Amino acid sequence: MKSIKWKEVLTSNQMFIIYIIAVLSLAIGMKNSAFFDFSTVITLSRALLVTLCFAICEMVVIISGGIDVSFPAVACAALYIPVKVMKDADIDSVFLAFVFAAVIGLIVGVVNAVLIAILKIPPLIATLGVSSMTSGALLTFFGTREISRIPDSVSALSKVFILNYTNSSNVTYSLTVFILVPIALCIAVHLILRYTMLGRGIFAIGGDQNAARIAGFNVIRLQFIVYIFSGVMAGIAGMIYCILCDSANPLNLMGSEMMIIAAVVVGGTRITGGHGSVSGTILGVILIALIQNNLIMLGVPTYWQTFVVGAVIVAGTSITSLKAKAVEQNQKV
Amino acid sequence: MKKRLLSAVLGAAMAASLLMGCASGGSSEPADDSKAETEDAGEDSGEKTAADYKIAVVPKMTNLAWFERMEDGVNDYNDANGTDVFYGGSPEGDGQAAYVETLISQGYDAICVVPFDVEALDPVLKKAKDEGITIICHEASTVENMDYDIEAFDTTEYGAHLMEKIAELTGGEGEYIQTVGALTSISHVEEADGGKAYADENCPNLKMAGDKIISDDNEDTAYNKVKEALTANKNIVAIQCAAMSETPGAARAVEELGLSGKVHIAGTSLVSVCGKYVESGTVELMSFWDPALAGQAMIELAVATLNGTADENLSINVPGYETLTLEGNVYTGSAWIDVDADNVDDPAYDF
Repeated sequence: MKSIKWKEVLTSNQMFIIYIIAVLSLAIGMKNSAFFDFSTVITLSRALLVTLCFAICEMVVIISGGIDVSFPAVACAALYIPVKVMKDADIDSVFLAFVFAAVIGLIVGVVNAVLIAILKIPPLIATLGVSSMTSGALLTFFGTREISRIPDSVSALSKVFILNYTNSSNVTYSLTVFILVPIALCIAVHLILRYTMLGRGIFAIGGDQNAARIAGFNVIRLQFIVYIFSGVMAGIAGMIYCILCDSANPLNLMGSEMMIIAAVVVGGTRITGGHGSVSGTILGVILIALIQNNLIMLGVPTYWQTFVVGAVIVAGTSITSLKAKAVEQNQKV
Repeated sequence: MKKRLLSAVLGAAMAASLLMGCASGGSSEPADDSKAETEDAGEDSGEKTAADYKIAVVPKMTNLAWFERMEDGVNDYNDANGTDVFYGGSPEGDGQAAYVETLISQGYDAICVVPFDVEALDPVLKKAKDEGITIICHEASTVENMDYDIEAFDTTEYGAHLMEKIAELTGGEGEYIQTVGALTSISHVEEADGGKAYADENCPNLKMAGDKIISDDNEDTAYNKVKEALTANKNIVAIQCAAMSETPGAARAVEELGLSGKVHIAGTSLVSVCGKYVESGTVELMSFWDPALAGQAMIELAVATLNGTADENLSINVPGYETLTLEGNVYTGSAWIDVDADNVDDPAYDF
């Protein structure tokens, strides 16, 4: 009995991603010993911080049977408009920056939810349209100029660290305080998905909307919650991105959606909905961040880096998919 | 503010088309007259100026800070010379060919254009040339149907210029990295290669570390990759950045790692984007060319072409374009502007 359980654990989706991460880390570390320094943890945490926030939102949406490609546009609007307005009106408030960002996310989230839950437009098309509208309106009415001097108190947050580490060659690596946001988000989403009726409902509507409705779940309400959550978090993550960059650029995040969806799917979330876990998504994001940032250390030629990113995505999702197939066949026996 | 700008442009376009409509509707004689006069004037001392011609400047797109700056340049030119050069184009660039096509029928003597998509635009430019309109291009030496192209500088030389500064800062010792937006971005690659060629030739102890780093023109990507490279290789003493967004990204990585002063940065950027890192001293040389001046140089070149004075000795009265080299039909200036901690506060560079 016990040995079977071990086998299950060792061949689970997540373990396969851990294997890939381990092999990749070993390869990088063997090529360049600087990788095995504690600084890598700090650099990697910083690199995947915002990505992880987006990925968790996207995972919740995908579990519910939908998809959201509007979050980069939401994040751009939520970081640029508050900074621009605050600069123009000479206001300097961290609180306002985040509330403003969250409200912008909320508004777009509501629009998405209305289109998807009430008008029944396919989520990909609805969020694609909303994304284009948001980005277009942002660039037309608020401009395209990057704001490199964001309000002082907001800018000061980019230099608040919870951890400083100085390595042997006297280079200091600092971990930003914002790392607490994705950590809190992951814990909260994990608890909600696993232990509340709300979480069960999100899985249920992703598995089969009609069955969920018949079972007594309010599908429309759940979809509203999912898309509003995604919008608000995208807004807050956008503001964090802006603070970490210490500048507000209305275009930088655009185009990041596919890599984040890839990270979610590599992490074992099924694109058709109903399956997924926070731990898997965290691993997926780590894997993608690792290959995006550390191929330089591995000495992979620039042209090949794109290839390797694609190859790892294909390999990662194939394993997840094959596992799912194997499980299905086992159940039939 | 955007709305006001839009309505202003629309208004200008409407007014221009009205005026042009009258002119071309009347008869074609005035145009013939002016051409005849031009030939005569060539002999006389009184050369024609931009005020005597109808000239339009069409940017790659209007919806970008870079070309908003070009518009400022054209407006300044109009104010300074009492001219009425028209500035306008497609907001996102994709409608540029159609936009230029509408200008052809409006009786312009010259159209200065920064092509968005050369292949789409070239047939329209042919049509314009067939109508006898002078075509001046910028950032597009491959256009077939044009009179002249004018470039702010030779990108290879510009790269060498940045590397010269790096060599000076590092004393010619150590390793450096280069960042480019994409390997398909020809000007970036030329710039990086120009820098490398300079280092290879003049500084035997200054070596390039690894491959060119690709930033996708994204500040955060540049930040993460430069940070990674600096962690991986402790011998790196300098960074040369080709894209506008890379220089601040690289600077942030260097500052956060506490390497300011040890790792030197020279790159392309704008004061509005990267000024704070120049002030803090992390970026020791930041260069760019001023789209406002490029716009003015295009107008001046158009006038010279119409006057028939555009030859290899041409000098344009715009800073950086006084001395030009002519190769084929491409003029190249040396109009890069260097900004460091001493002149970063200059209001003239605040864009």
